[in-house]
Amino acid sequence: MFKKKLTLKILLFLIFSDILETLTQLFFKKSALTQSQFFPAKITDILIFLKAVSASWFLWLGFLTVVLTFVIWSTILSKIDLSVAIPIASFSYILVPLISIIFLHEKISLIRWVGILFILAGVIFVSLSSKEKEAIG
Amino acid sequence: MKESLIFILFLIVLTSICDTINQLFLKSAINSLNASLTGNILKILRFILKLIIMPRVWIGFLFAVLSLCIWLFVLSKADLNFAFSADSMHYIFIALASRFVLKEKVGLKRWAGTIFIILGIILVSLS
Repeated sequence: MFKKKLTLKILLFLIFSDILETLTQLFFKKSALTQSQFFPAKITDILIFLKAVSASWFLWLGFLTVVLTFVIWSTILSKIDLSVAIPIASFSYILVPLISIIFLHEKISLIRWVGILFILAGVIFVSLSSKEKEAIG
Repeated sequence: MKESLIFILFLIVLTSICDTINQLFLKSAINSLNASLTGNILKILRFILKLIIMPRVWIGFLFAVLSLCIWLFVLSKADLNFAFSADSMHYIFIALASRFVLKEKVGLKRWAGTIFIILGIILVSLS
């Protein structure tokens, strides 16, 4: 079997994949907003909606980030266990609030801080479990 | 009111399961390729090409699309805070599926970490 150690490089890849996923959401939302006046009456109206949305560049940017995310995520999964990759990808729950604090000067409630600390502790535990296994195997 | 809440919860479980199935198919496909990737871009591209011609990956992809459809429906009905906290249980499905289907060794530390993350997400979502 191949090695499954979680390295700093893979961790950075995971964070990058998180950022790409967030961008995907943002791009799809932006493209959908160009048609916010659109109200489908019947199911086939979805096709008309999709055609209208496809005129927006954001939709295509969104597809591009989907493909990129798939490439990076697959590369990550070729290196580490699924039960390690998925929990560590929860990093985005920390990234978004931290970015809001640093760049948007948002105030974060005490409960939210506790939540962030819990997630951080969880990510550290899962990372350690991956390293430990490598030492044994 | 209470019945609709149970229905939404059921849908959230369903979307979590679909998502887990997608990840399982993808990971099992990747495991079967047994690739040792280095920084080489060409090697990575060849790996991705081999991957996307596997039917398993496409079956997984279908589940991902299904999961997305259900999730969008949930978001249109439920409170966002509630939806995100309930969705955090998919970490349990992933851990169980990794343990029993993929035969990964999920030890005490990994379980503890996973449960910490779930609690953390619930706290972040609810506040």
